[in-house]
Amino acid sequence: MLDTASRTAAGGQRSPLRRPGRRTLTQLAVIAGLLLFAFLAIPQLLSLYYIDAMTQVAVYSVVALGLGVLVGRVGLVSLGQVAVLTIGAWVAARLLFATAQPYPLVLLEAGVITMVLGTLIGLPALRLRGLYLALITLMLAGALTVVLTTTNFPNGGHGFLGYNGSTVHIPAIRRPSIAESDPAYYRYAVVVAALMFLLVLVHIRTQPGRAWAAIRQSEPAALAAGINTTLYKLWAFALASFITGVAGGVLAGAVHYLYSITFPTQESITLLAVVLMGGAYSMWGAIVAALLLQFLPALLNNWGVSADWLTILFGIGVLQVLTTAPRGLADQVPKDLARLGRLLRGLRRRPAASGSDPA
Amino acid sequence: MPSWQEFEPFIVSGLALGGVYALSGVGTVVLYQATGVVYLAFGAVGALGALIAWSLTNAGAPDWLAWLVCVLVSGAVTLAYGMVFGPPLARRDPLVKAVATLGLTLVLFGLMDLLWTTSGGQSRAITLPTDNGGFTVGQLQVTWTQVIGLGAGIAIVVVTTVFLRYTKLGTAMRAMANDREITATLGVPVRRVEAAAWLGCGVIAGVAGLLLADLVALDATTLTFLVISSLAAALIARLRSIVGTFVAAMAIGLIHDLLTPIQSLSSYRDMTPFVLAAVALLVFSRHRVISLSREEA
Repeated sequence: MLDTASRTAAGGQRSPLRRPGRRTLTQLAVIAGLLLFAFLAIPQLLSLYYIDAMTQVAVYSVVALGLGVLVGRVGLVSLGQVAVLTIGAWVAARLLFATAQPYPLVLLEAGVITMVLGTLIGLPALRLRGLYLALITLMLAGALTVVLTTTNFPNGGHGFLGYNGSTVHIPAIRRPSIAESDPAYYRYAVVVAALMFLLVLVHIRTQPGRAWAAIRQSEPAALAAGINTTLYKLWAFALASFITGVAGGVLAGAVHYLYSITFPTQESITLLAVVLMGGAYSMWGAIVAALLLQFLPALLNNWGVSADWLTILFGIGVLQVLTTAPRGLADQVPKDLARLGRLLRGLRRRPAASGSDPA
Repeated sequence: MPSWQEFEPFIVSGLALGGVYALSGVGTVVLYQATGVVYLAFGAVGALGALIAWSLTNAGAPDWLAWLVCVLVSGAVTLAYGMVFGPPLARRDPLVKAVATLGLTLVLFGLMDLLWTTSGGQSRAITLPTDNGGFTVGQLQVTWTQVIGLGAGIAIVVVTTVFLRYTKLGTAMRAMANDREITATLGVPVRRVEAAAWLGCGVIAGVAGLLLADLVALDATTLTFLVISSLAAALIARLRSIVGTFVAAMAIGLIHDLLTPIQSLSSYRDMTPFVLAAVALLVFSRHRVISLSREEA
């Protein structure tokens, strides 16, 4: 994933970019089926509690996708993506309180402003690589957390910060008029998330995706091949920040009230953990990561199990992924299932074979 | 602008805080040089030790035993991690090694939150007996704990410098910082030297945890992520220079505490390590070198 050892592991695999036509069709059918299920069935099947959790899953799948683009596609590890998410949420909340613009426009603006700020954060990435980049993003995320604790999120106050100093009787952040109720807003979030996935897919399948793959394999080689590595690295940061900013906008409407205390620095670390566990190479990994990060805690909370167990599980998961399964759950589970299937088939065939063999 | 008198007490506390940052920073640098691992679980391990010490003293154990257990637990956990996950990750990128220690951080963090729950709002504190004693310089009250904080920082710099320069083990560590493979070829027991580095780093983490629990707060979250601040000092020294780490740590500790009386900046003072480290990294990396060999950043 991040270095040579796993790069060769990934290189040994068939390139995910080109698949035979039949597989593409099957995949498309699966995706369409899942989307329809997420859009139509989940609001009918689940209680409001879980629908809220699924809205968070939709939001965080986009955040995980952004980090997945950086880690899995370009090989840049950022430990500050949750800080980027808070920028998006802050900007969206400020705009929603200040203006009466339609919601999609606000999301777009939040995305663009976050993109500019996130790219500024990404500027050091042009010079720093690997470990130092990860650590500097951790530092910047820490700094941003301090700023946010002091300024707080906008809650209908005046001035640039829009914080009225009070924590009670504050107006809720509005939602789009077509999605006032929780199930409707969940559907809205799913549609936005699907659009963001589409945007990333288009990038991966075209010129930028190929350039990123080249940079991930070897930056000097990419440079020698005439790829503008500076441009494409910044592009990756811009794309990741944009979709994360949009996700922040969706998050603002989803929770109605934003508090700085809900975004501690460790969230960025947990996010990296689940993205690695889910699988940074695959877009499915982003969905797995979001389910781990948002749905599993809701489930455990309902069962009365402490969320701390989940933190421990994530820690073990990171160690397991880094030592044995660099491509994450999204890759590992189907492979393990296939292996299990082959094993079972082999077991069934063997008695038959030995029975027919007279020797 | 507040008057000079208002700044004076914060010089003392700043120096003490800087000393403890130097302690953790030097621990991080030595381990990184010897094994190539940036140990991000430093704070978590220290916090675990401090919390166990707190439980022991509450159960009526003598203080010295609690402190000893604290240091030993930190050392043992770190050593165990290094022994189990060091070898399989030894040939991987420094980034992978660092992220793996984040895994340990999450495990320890979850464990601490589970065992020493904070939801009840109960607060814990470790008070070292050195808090009460002290002396006055002019009109300044200085506690022995603060002296120990600064002293520990200075001591660790002197001890590690001498250790790396003059002992056989220290020379082996410096050799491994240069090139692990060649060092192994020359007959240095690489694994054993690494084990020593892990143990040393863990013991330092335990001492730092105990001191920080007294100087700052005994709380799993605070202590675990305070490592990010002390990491800043090591980063400013580019994970290389021990004296540089000490100077940077002192600067961070002093600036952090001196900002306290200035009203407009007081609430932003926790940003000090991050801003300093970010600026330093950017300045140092002005000349970008692309190399095919190992990461030099």
